[in-house]
Amino acid sequence: MKTFWILFAAEWRHFRAAKGLVLLTSLVLLVGLYGIYYGTSEINRQRQHLAELPALARHNVEELKVKFPDEADAGEIGYYHTTFAVHHPTPWASLALGQRDVNPYYVKLRLLGLQGQLYASENVNPTKALSGNFDLAFVLVYLFPLLIIALCFNLLSYEKEQGILTLLLAQPVSAATLVAAKLAFRVALVLGLVLVLSGVAMLWAQVPPDGRVGLWLALVVLYCLFWFAVAFLVTSWQRTSAFNAVALVGVWLVLVVLVPGLLNVFVSAARPVPQGLELTIKQRDEIHGGWDKPKTETMNRFFALYPQYRDTATIKERFVWRWYYAFQHLGDQSVQELASAYTDGLRQRYELVNRLNWLSPAINAQTSLNALAGTDLPAHLAFQQSATRYHDALRGFYYPYLFHKVAFTHADYAKEPTHTFTSTSDPTTALSGLGKLLVSTGAVLVAGLLLFRARPVNPR
Amino acid sequence: MTYILEAKDLRKQYPDKLALRGLNLQIEAGEVFCLLGQNGAGKSTTINLFLGFVQPTSGAAYINGLEVAKNPLEIKQHLAYIPENVMLYPHLTGLENLNLFSRLAGFAYAESELRRYLEHAGLPAEAVQRRVGTYSKGMRQKVGIAIAVAKHAKVLLLDEPTSGLDPKASNEFSELLRQLSGQGTAVFMATHDIFRAKEVGTRVGIMREGELVDVRPTTLLNANELEQLYLHYTH
Amino acid sequence: MMQSIAQKEFVSTLRDRRFVVLSVLVLGLLLAATLVGRARYRTLQQERAVAQQTVNDQFHHQPNRHPHRVAHYGSFAFRPKSGLSLLDSGLDSFTGASVFLEAHQQNSVNFSQAQQSGSLIRFGELTVAFVLQQLVPLLIIFLCFSAFTEERETGTLKLLLSQGVSLRQVAWGKVAGYGRAVALVVAPALLLAAWLLFGQEEVAGSPDVWTRLGLFVLSYAVYFFLWIVGSVVVSAWQEHARSALITLLGCWMLGTIILPKATANVGAHLFPTITKAQMDAEVHEQAQRGINGHDPQDKRSAALKEGLLKKYGVTSEKELPVSVAGLVMAESEAYTSKVYQQHFADLTRTYERQNALSTWAGLLNPYQAIRPLSMGLAGSDFAHYVHFQQAAEAYRYQLVQRLNQLQAGMGYGDKERKLDAATWRAIPTFEYEAPPLGWALGYLLVPTLALLLWAVGLCWLGLKVIDNTRVA
Repeated sequence: MKTFWILFAAEWRHFRAAKGLVLLTSLVLLVGLYGIYYGTSEINRQRQHLAELPALARHNVEELKVKFPDEADAGEIGYYHTTFAVHHPTPWASLALGQRDVNPYYVKLRLLGLQGQLYASENVNPTKALSGNFDLAFVLVYLFPLLIIALCFNLLSYEKEQGILTLLLAQPVSAATLVAAKLAFRVALVLGLVLVLSGVAMLWAQVPPDGRVGLWLALVVLYCLFWFAVAFLVTSWQRTSAFNAVALVGVWLVLVVLVPGLLNVFVSAARPVPQGLELTIKQRDEIHGGWDKPKTETMNRFFALYPQYRDTATIKERFVWRWYYAFQHLGDQSVQELASAYTDGLRQRYELVNRLNWLSPAINAQTSLNALAGTDLPAHLAFQQSATRYHDALRGFYYPYLFHKVAFTHADYAKEPTHTFTSTSDPTTALSGLGKLLVSTGAVLVAGLLLFRARPVNPR
Repeated sequence: MTYILEAKDLRKQYPDKLALRGLNLQIEAGEVFCLLGQNGAGKSTTINLFLGFVQPTSGAAYINGLEVAKNPLEIKQHLAYIPENVMLYPHLTGLENLNLFSRLAGFAYAESELRRYLEHAGLPAEAVQRRVGTYSKGMRQKVGIAIAVAKHAKVLLLDEPTSGLDPKASNEFSELLRQLSGQGTAVFMATHDIFRAKEVGTRVGIMREGELVDVRPTTLLNANELEQLYLHYTH
Repeated sequence: MMQSIAQKEFVSTLRDRRFVVLSVLVLGLLLAATLVGRARYRTLQQERAVAQQTVNDQFHHQPNRHPHRVAHYGSFAFRPKSGLSLLDSGLDSFTGASVFLEAHQQNSVNFSQAQQSGSLIRFGELTVAFVLQQLVPLLIIFLCFSAFTEERETGTLKLLLSQGVSLRQVAWGKVAGYGRAVALVVAPALLLAAWLLFGQEEVAGSPDVWTRLGLFVLSYAVYFFLWIVGSVVVSAWQEHARSALITLLGCWMLGTIILPKATANVGAHLFPTITKAQMDAEVHEQAQRGINGHDPQDKRSAALKEGLLKKYGVTSEKELPVSVAGLVMAESEAYTSKVYQQHFADLTRTYERQNALSTWAGLLNPYQAIRPLSMGLAGSDFAHYVHFQQAAEAYRYQLVQRLNQLQAGMGYGDKERKLDAATWRAIPTFEYEAPPLGWALGYLLVPTLALLLWAVGLCWLGLKVIDNTRVA
C-alpha cells in the first residue's frame, strides 16, 4: 500500500512535468465551464422568452378590448385571441439541453383546429442545430473520453518505451501496483474535474438538492470509469503508445460516432414514422371540406361528440361561428388516428433507441442525462399532450358561449384558462441507463483484468 | 548452506530459440561473478531470469534462498539492478529520481544522504539538481549506481554496467564493487570487458549459445590468458 | 526520383496490414453511407413528391368555391431533395420539409427530421460527407504520422539522402504515394455514387449536377491533399512518431469537433435569434398599419372604395364592375407580404450573421471550409434552403394575388357567389427549380478561398519545415 502511494504521488509530478497534458486538462476545464455557461444562458434565454409570452397575450387582449369595446360574439374572440401553451424547463435542462433547441418550447394557440397549430416550429438556425449544443453533457459525453484517452494512451508504454520500466520493476513493486497507482491518479484527476464541473453547473443552475444530484453524479462518474476501463483493457494488451492511441481513438470513434450514426439509420428504417405532413394535409382538407358540406351533417357529427349541445338552435344563417368551430373540431377529430400514430411512432423510435443504447455507452450516457434533465423527445411529446389538453380546455371554455349564445364580456377574458407545463425528469430511464452503464463498465473491466493476468508485464 | 544467488537446471526456451540450456550456478556472499560471452549468448536472459522478468521453461532461479518465480516481489527486496543503459524519468532531477526509487525500495533518506549516495557514485555535485533529461549516458549510469547502492541489497545484478562510462569512471566503479563485495554483497555481472572482469571478479564464467561452458577463479589467470580462453570458446 | 519514392510509399502502404484493415473499414463505411444516403434520398424524395402531387391534385379538384376560400385553403410547398444530397445531406435534417401556403401570412417551414427523432441524431449522421470530412482525415493521419519519424528512427532517411535525393523530393514523393493510396480508398465509393446518380433519370441529363459532382470531387481532393501534406509535415517536424500522432490527433479533434461546435454556438450567442412569438407579434403590429382585408370598417378600405367610385364615375359600390373586397384583399396582401418578407429577411440575416463566424473560421480550420463547400455543392446548405423558402413565398404571393384578382373580377356581391371548379385547374401549381451552380458558387467564395489559401500556405510552410528537418 505504501508503494502505491509513493507511485501515486510520483504520478502527480510526472503529470505536472507534461506541459501538454496540463494544458489539455486546463483546456477541458475551461471548455467545461464554457459549456456550463452556454447551457445556463441558453435555458435562461428560453425562460426569459417564456416570461415574455404573457405580455404578448395581454397585449392581444388589450387589442381585442379596443376592437370589441362592448360585448362581443365569443366566436370572434376565439378567432382572434391568441394564447400560449408553454413548456418550462427543469433546472437540470441547463446541464443537458437535449432536443430543447430544435423542439419548440411554446405553442401559439387559437380556438381553431389544433393539428394545424401544434407542429409549428420555432425559429431555429439549422446550421447551428446541425453543429449541436455545447453544453456540459456534450463536454462530458464527447470530450471527457478524449481527455481520458490522452491521459492513458501511454499509461505503461511510456515507461516501457523510455526504458524506465526495467528499473522500476527491479524494485519491490509489482506491475499491478504500478498500473493501479497510475490509473488511480488519472481517475482521481478526471473525476475531480467531473465533480468540480458538475458541482459548478448544479450550483449555477440551482438544481433542487434531491436524488437526481446523486443520479447525475453516478452517471457521469460511471461513464468516465467506463472509458478508464477501456484504457485499462488496451494497456493490458501491452502494445506501443502509438498503437494504443490508434486503438483508443478507434474505440472512441466507434462508440461515439459510428454506432450512433448506424443506429440512427437502423432505427429510422425499423420504426418508420408516418410523416407529420400527411396529417396536416388531411386535417386541412377536412376543415375546408366543412365549408362545402351541409351544415346539419356537420352539426350532427359534432353533437355526437357533444350531446349536451344537441338542443341548441338549428343553424339557418349563411355563417355562424359555432358551425365554423364545429368543423374545425371535426377536422382534428378526423386525423386523431394519424396524430396518435405519429406520436406513437416517435415514441417507439425513442424506446427502440433506449433498448439498444447498451451498444454504445456514449448514447446511453447522453440519453440518460437528457432523460434526467427532461429534455428529450418524451418530454416534448408530454408537452404536446398537455398542450392538446389545454386546447380542449379552451374549447370547453368557449363552447358554452357559442352554443348558448352568451355574449363575451371584457370580464370573461380573465376567466379563460391558461397553460403551464414543466417537463419532469425521467429517473426510470436514467436509472436503467445507469444499470446498463454499470454492466458495460464491469464487463470491460473484467476483460481488462483477465487480459492483464493472462499477459505478465514484460518490462522490455 | 543457502547461496545468495543460485540457478538450478535453469532453462529458457523461446518459441524460436533455446536461450538457456540448464544453467547451474551458485554464488556466495562477497563473491563477484563475471559472465562473459558474445551478444545473444544468454547473458541477459540469465539476468532477466534472476530478476523475474522472464519465466523459466524449467528449473529455477533462487535469490537468498527464495525461488524467483514464486516470490517475484520479495526477491526484489534483496537485489539491486543496473541495466546497460540506465533510463530515468527525464523531467525529474537526479536527486528526485534517486529519492523516488529509494522510497519504492522502502528507504526514506534525508536529502543530505541522497546527495552523498550520488556523490559517492561519482555524479558531479552541480548535476544533482538538474533534470535527468539533460544528463549524458554516463551521468545516468551513475544515478543508476547510486540507486543500486542506496538499496543496500545482498545481490547486485549488473548488465554491462560500465558501457558508456569513461575509463576513470569505470575504474571508480570497480573500486566501488570491491568495497561492496568486501561488505558481503554478492555481485553478478554480465560484461564484455575482459580486463575489468579479471580485475574485480572473483570468478569468471564464459557462456556460449545458452550454455555456461567454463567457470574459473580469476586468481588463476591473467588478463591475457583469460582473453585466450574467451576466444577459444567463442570461435 | 520522386516517382520511385511515391511508388515505394504506395507499395509499402498497401502491404501494411493496419492500413489495409483501416481502409477496408473506411471504404465499407463509404459504400454503406452511399447506399444509405441513396435509400434515404429516395424515400424522402418520394414522400415529398407524393405529398406535393396530393396537394396539387387537391387544389385542382376543389369544388365551386369563393376565391378567397381557396386562398385560405391554400397549398403546400414541399422541398425536393437535391440530387447530390445523397452524398451530403447537409442541413436537410434540420430544416423543415414543407411550408403551408395560405392567404395573409407567410408560414415557417415545418417538420424537420430532427424534430422527428430523439437526441440520437445529434451525434451526427452517417453520410458520405461525414466519412470524407472526418474519417478519411483520420485514416490519413494513421497512414502518415510516421512518414518521417520512422525513416529517421531506422536511419533509412540518411541512406536515401546519401543517394542524392533531396529532402523536398522525399517529402513530395511521400505525399504523392499516400495520395495514391487514399484515392484508392475513396474512388470506388465516388464511382458508385456517380453511377447511382446516373441511374436517376431526372438527374442523369443535367450538366449542372455533373459539374457539381466534379467540383465536389475536386474540393475533397484538395482537402485530402491538405491533410496528407499536413501529416507529412508534422511527421517531419516532430521528433518521435508518438508525438507526431498525438499532435495530429489533437488537430483533428480541435478541427472537426470542438471548433465547429464552438463557433456555431458563439455565433448564435452573439446574434440572438428572435422568437417566433415575438416575430409574429411584430408582424401583426406592423401589418395593422396597412389595410385589413377582413375589416370592412377599416378607414383605408373606405378610401380605396371612394377612389374606385371616382375612377369608374359611379355613385354606389353596386354599380362597380369590380369587387371592392377583392381589391382590398389584394392591397392588404401586398402590404402584409412585404412586412412578412422583411421579417423573414431579417431572420435570415440574423442566421447569416450567426453563421459568418463559422464560415470565416474556415480560414483557420479546413474542416470548416470543406463543410460549407460540400453542402453548397450538394445543394443542402443554408443558401439553398433560403432559396426554397423564397421560391415558396413568391409562389404563395402570386397565387394569393391571382385569387384576389379573380375575386375582384367577380364584381359586387362576390361573397354570395362561387367560381366554377374549372377555375382552379387553370392555376399552375408550385414547381421548384433548384438554383444553378453559378448561383451557388456566389455563396461559396469564402470557403473556396480558404481551402486554396490553406493549400498554398501549407505547402509553403511545409517546405520551410522540410528544409529544416533533422536527418538523424
